[in-house]
Amino acid sequence: MGGYAGRILYVDLTSSRIEGKPLDLEFARRYIGGLGFGARIYLDLIRNRPDFDALSADNPFVLMTGPLTGMRMHAVARWTIGSRSPLTGFWGDCNIGGFFGAELKFAGYDGIVFTGEAHTPTYIAIEDDVVEIRDARKYWGKDVYTVNDGVITDHKGKSKKPGQVLGIGPAGENLVRFASIINNKGHVAGRTGLGAVWGAKKLKAIFVRGTGKLKVAHPNRFNSLREDLKHLYDGNITIEGLRAFGTASHMDLGIISGDIPIKNWQRTDWDRIDEIGPIAYGEKILTRNKSCYGCGVGCKREAEVKEGPFSFDKGPGPEYETIATFGTMCLNPSIESIGKANDICNRYGMDTVTCGSTIAFAIECFENGLINENDTGGLKLTWGNSETIVAMVEKIGKREGFGSILSEGSARAAEQIGGNASDFLTTVKGLEAPMHDPRAAHGYGLAYAVTPRGACHTASPIYSILGLGMYQPEIPELAEEISEMSSEGMAKLNIACQDFGMFFSNCAVFCNLGANILMASHAVDLVNHVTGFDYTIKEVMELGRRIWYLKRGLSNLFGARAKHDRLPRRLLTPMETGPTKGSVPDMDLMVKEFYKLRAFNEKGIPTKEILEELDLPELAELLYPSSSPPGHLHRLTMPDT
Amino acid sequence: MGVFESSEKFEEVLVGFFRNLGDTPSIANKLLASKLIIRFTYSDPDLVVLVDCSGDKIDVRPGDKDTKAEVEMSMSADIAHKFWFGKVNLMAALTRRQMVAKGPIPKILNLLPAIKPSYAMYPKYLEEQGYSKYNIH
Repeated sequence: MGGYAGRILYVDLTSSRIEGKPLDLEFARRYIGGLGFGARIYLDLIRNRPDFDALSADNPFVLMTGPLTGMRMHAVARWTIGSRSPLTGFWGDCNIGGFFGAELKFAGYDGIVFTGEAHTPTYIAIEDDVVEIRDARKYWGKDVYTVNDGVITDHKGKSKKPGQVLGIGPAGENLVRFASIINNKGHVAGRTGLGAVWGAKKLKAIFVRGTGKLKVAHPNRFNSLREDLKHLYDGNITIEGLRAFGTASHMDLGIISGDIPIKNWQRTDWDRIDEIGPIAYGEKILTRNKSCYGCGVGCKREAEVKEGPFSFDKGPGPEYETIATFGTMCLNPSIESIGKANDICNRYGMDTVTCGSTIAFAIECFENGLINENDTGGLKLTWGNSETIVAMVEKIGKREGFGSILSEGSARAAEQIGGNASDFLTTVKGLEAPMHDPRAAHGYGLAYAVTPRGACHTASPIYSILGLGMYQPEIPELAEEISEMSSEGMAKLNIACQDFGMFFSNCAVFCNLGANILMASHAVDLVNHVTGFDYTIKEVMELGRRIWYLKRGLSNLFGARAKHDRLPRRLLTPMETGPTKGSVPDMDLMVKEFYKLRAFNEKGIPTKEILEELDLPELAELLYPSSSPPGHLHRLTMPDT
Repeated sequence: MGVFESSEKFEEVLVGFFRNLGDTPSIANKLLASKLIIRFTYSDPDLVVLVDCSGDKIDVRPGDKDTKAEVEMSMSADIAHKFWFGKVNLMAALTRRQMVAKGPIPKILNLLPAIKPSYAMYPKYLEEQGYSKYNIH
């Protein structure tokens, strides 16, 4: 077997039992890796007791790499995590870059499954075959950067390699519902708040150091294709744009088409946007470019502000999504303050998309008199107030004062604030929408509505297809002429994107940015050369389809229904001016077509027949228990977000 | 047939617009700072326009195929027309080769903030110069 490390580590934190189980080749072929492995293992763990809270010991946590993770080439350093989300109550997952996935595989593991919860703060130390549960009390309460450096120092001297740390900060410990898990200070598993799952389990960190090497099934074929692809990368505008400006380059591109949400999604233009654009970023806070393991694209950024109210030490710089949430969304023209907000989020361990969006939501509540300075502890939550935005980020991380309300995420905060606060929400299934406007590309609207984890632009390549220039002529549905501001045909397009994307960025775990320029056949060939399998594009689409239903089924099992497959009113309000003037996705049309093509019933659940056809009988039995009357659906208690 | 009936008409409209941009200090100053020489090669109808930002003012030279340009852009006249309305997704157009760009990509991307105001200017220009039939409503 090539590519895979060959073992999955099972750690039960309650009993301190650790077990390495061999990876079954047939399982690997069927589920590819990443979230394919994770979702399947997770379902098997919960199928006999599926009713639990996300922050309880009953919620397993899965961390899985892909078959290419750890290979020395562009855009394959990524890996995944999954669990029930404390923010949404539904299935939550993340796709992360950095170095941890590669190091885990060098240590001999394709993934880790956590169950139970520790009695005291704990971290896991993995050094090849030696796996230990260790006392993390001295790190509890410490920020992500301190823990990262401290754990590496603690393990210094045993090997020349420093090892990698994946950890949570105080936000995860404080059960902030959008807490993140962070590798190497800046590679963040942010969305859906799975850092709080670790906090509830009292799992502070994982240290891993591996000395093994990964095998490639067909090294000559792999090396030859990797060489060929170098020519594809050199001079490509997407790659060169990422190299030159990082993801911040989208500040200049997205504003043209009305893709960037401004003032909590109320505008598509802002005369101060250049003050936080890629040129300002480069001039004011950038120190150097960085990259993930083995990747030569180098889209990551390091930043620093040496003096002033927003000073912070050299460290990971903000990405596009962060610049937009703390910048355009809040009408905040200070790139230094955005860098500072990003630094606080990284140190406390918080998702910048939900954090910034929740602050923008709170600013609108403040503007409309639903909250005032008495509520906010004296902070004037006004548009463009950089100091207040930064101060509120810290309060959220600490769960201090009004920050405690916002630490629940905007949907729960709206319930507490009351009045018409929910009018200002930008959430789907309780997850704040990413910084790409469906009024500029209607297909995003359907993607946000039906993605199992909530509003998401990365679960499938729909954003790459409609917005970033991915072109897949080998997949007929993805090669058709596209009209961004049309809802016609977007259900079919989304489904093809979901099926391909499940293989591409969820299971094989190609990077949604750096691998964007690959043809489908390149991706399939790379997986085949490394693993020795003989997948075809058709087969990976079929496998992707099956795993997509598995993920959707998990959210259904946790209570997701048709009423959750909706966009918030704010995202469906047409703009009066600008590039998206008058444009609104036709959600009724798209969702109706999608349900029909995906064989969903009117409740938003895949029919029993389609689940059985896809060979998912366990999921079918959970959603349609045979002991229940005909038509009865298994349903769990769920927040109505 | 495309939006423009002839090369002459397309040249009249587009070169006039480029010169309009060159006379707008907020745009011209940023373009001049780039020092770039850009050649646009259009098809259906055919046209070549060189925009020289290397001097003290923006020099727009239709038909100049000889001057060495640092950036070469080629596209159809219809795509160019849509682009100036802000209705072309640049990355998608480049990937699908509706537009082809050759030259230093960071420098090309650096121009985007400079030309941003032009998207609002193009429909106004068409209206004011008697080209309202080309406007996209």
